[in-house]
Amino acid sequence: MINRRNFLTTVALGTASAAVLAACGQPAPAQTGSASNPVTINYTWWGNDDRAERTRKAIALFESKNPDIKVNGNFTDFAGYWQKRATEAAGGGLPDVMQWDLSYLRDYGQRNQLLDLGTVKINTDAFDKSLLPSGQIRGKTYGIPTSTNAFAVYYDPAKLASLGIAEPDGTWTYKEYNAFLAEVGAKSNGALFGGTDYTGIWWMFNIWLRQNNIEAFTEDGKLGFSKDDLKKWWNQTAALRGTPAIVSEERVTQLAPKSPFGSNVSATESTWDNFMAAYLGDSGAKELKLVPVPSDDKDNLGLFLKPSMLMVASAKTKYKDAAARFIDFMVNDPEVGQIFKTSRGVPASKTQRDGTTFEGTDKLVVDYEKSIEKYLKDAPEPPIVGFGTLETSFKRISSDLNFGKVTVDGAADAWFKEAEDLIKQNS
Amino acid sequence: MTTMATPTQPKPIKPAAHAPAPVYNPKSESAGGKRAKSVIFHILALTLTGVVLYPALWMIASSFKPNSEIGGANTSLWSENFSFDNFVTAMDGIGGVSTLQFFTNSLVLAIGAVVGTILSASVSAYAFARIKFPGRSVLFGMMIATLLLPFHVVIIPQYIVFQQLGLVDTYIPLLIGKFLAADAFFVFLMVQFMRNLPAELDEAARIDGAGHVRIFTSIMLPLMRPALISTSIFSFIWSWNDFLGPLLYLNTPEKYPLPLALRLFVDQTQSSDYGAMIAMSVLALLPVLIFFLVFQRYIVEGVSTQGLKG
Repeated sequence: MINRRNFLTTVALGTASAAVLAACGQPAPAQTGSASNPVTINYTWWGNDDRAERTRKAIALFESKNPDIKVNGNFTDFAGYWQKRATEAAGGGLPDVMQWDLSYLRDYGQRNQLLDLGTVKINTDAFDKSLLPSGQIRGKTYGIPTSTNAFAVYYDPAKLASLGIAEPDGTWTYKEYNAFLAEVGAKSNGALFGGTDYTGIWWMFNIWLRQNNIEAFTEDGKLGFSKDDLKKWWNQTAALRGTPAIVSEERVTQLAPKSPFGSNVSATESTWDNFMAAYLGDSGAKELKLVPVPSDDKDNLGLFLKPSMLMVASAKTKYKDAAARFIDFMVNDPEVGQIFKTSRGVPASKTQRDGTTFEGTDKLVVDYEKSIEKYLKDAPEPPIVGFGTLETSFKRISSDLNFGKVTVDGAADAWFKEAEDLIKQNS
Repeated sequence: MTTMATPTQPKPIKPAAHAPAPVYNPKSESAGGKRAKSVIFHILALTLTGVVLYPALWMIASSFKPNSEIGGANTSLWSENFSFDNFVTAMDGIGGVSTLQFFTNSLVLAIGAVVGTILSASVSAYAFARIKFPGRSVLFGMMIATLLLPFHVVIIPQYIVFQQLGLVDTYIPLLIGKFLAADAFFVFLMVQFMRNLPAELDEAARIDGAGHVRIFTSIMLPLMRPALISTSIFSFIWSWNDFLGPLLYLNTPEKYPLPLALRLFVDQTQSSDYGAMIAMSVLALLPVLIFFLVFQRYIVEGVSTQGLKG
């Protein structure tokens, strides 16, 4: 039996010793460094071997230009990255500078974990004005975009040529796009699907809403569209589900974690333009091309540039100035652009973009973003808290739809219920 | 298993070539029935083994395939383009850290965990099982209670403690618990094992003038070999496979163990090198497999003798 007095004594002892231990933290170091006595800032990012190599080069360059600052670089994979950040945020130990993802910006920004970068010196003159709001929440700048992505439809020209289908020119309505998907499925006798069900992709829906001048989320974090909008969207491909025009959900599941497009099972795929390298690697295709998404209004494609990643600093950093200089260097320096090319996305700062030479695949992506420049509108604000959950349930429910487990009406009801519960919970 | 003739059984009569009609022989039929049963049993067992081992087979086969042929629409087990390229990539390391370094880190952590657990858990278990001291049952109860506490509940408080002590990014947070008998499961395992050892053994030692240290080192430890070995195996494997602990406490890639390194090959936001990841998984599996093969016979041996060899 645990006796109450014993228990209390133990707890008291434990707390006391923890407090004593906590008191012997490190002494506060100096705020600025010098060449002989540099300050060290921690920088962390997610990514693979390739990004690690490039980042190391960029850090070495920064250190040679700024001898008073040392940068200690660390990296993990994407999933582990956020588990680690969550623990560190709770423990007050976030690294000084971090690579960041848009979907986590509001969450950490609202909880005052991130430094307001408006209070430090970072040059944003070379940035497109439509892009910066995506790093801001209620007037405070928490993140500076390093680079951009835009949504696109990928296709494999070799596959279309073998079927005798003309390559799309990028100006198409949804009806034409559907007809195109059906044609691929029919002409290949089911050997090749047209594409994945694009109505299951949240961002395609978001773009369609923008094409119809509807905001996905209102400023106070509520849903900006109605259940009827969602039903209309999911009905777009109702006639195509279960035909060779669209990859069946069974097949998608079998192929995971690879995409149907990367597995050479479909001829097109709609997603962000920075997937190019991954698709080329997975499919082994010689060449892939990008065209804009369909739109029923040929002057409004609903497209926008989204920061593929941002640079943020911890609110608790002891070296605000050093952190700001490092962020400024990473987003603006042309030589950094030369190191990363488009592996982070297309450089967001014009100085960096102009200072970088793009070849091959990189050029394709940069050219695509240039070609849609005239259609670009303001990037949406950072997504609402819990957006990741909403996107996942959107995907799950529309895959049930594709499986034929639910009707469009049932699916819309189910998603709205989940979304409204989540928004209520987080507000 | 084939049928075995025992000395009491008469030898089955060989059917002579000239004897046209088979003679009714109940013995030979039952032997045939036994054989049929045994064949069915073996086919079933082999099928089940195949099903269970298929993922491992898939992994080994895939480690020799080019990246574009792994998963996705490729269903064949073997590839025409057989190569060792994945192993070459895997051994190249990640971001300037060699794969050998990841292996060394994993080994240091795993061996540290085994040594720490064996030392601390056996001593604590001896105290709980053999020494009567005030508060023993309370402490024992509290120790068992920590078994019920999910790891995830203590992550953040623990992190704060180590962070304030400046011990993040060292192996100390990962190993200190092992040296302080914080793995209640192993302490419990050893206590139960010790309680089954005859008390007469240490009573006899005490009459001969042995103290606790002598009894523990000369009598208990040798008898506990099976428990020590199963503890070693489990703590080695757990430490070798641990992902969350190193993820939270280590920052410098040079200090990463294998499970963290493995994840760096697959990045859904960029290109994923499944081939290299699988090749490295195969390599990472080997030490655990060897460790188990070397020590598993001791478990069986230990369990069957139950420490009564004395």
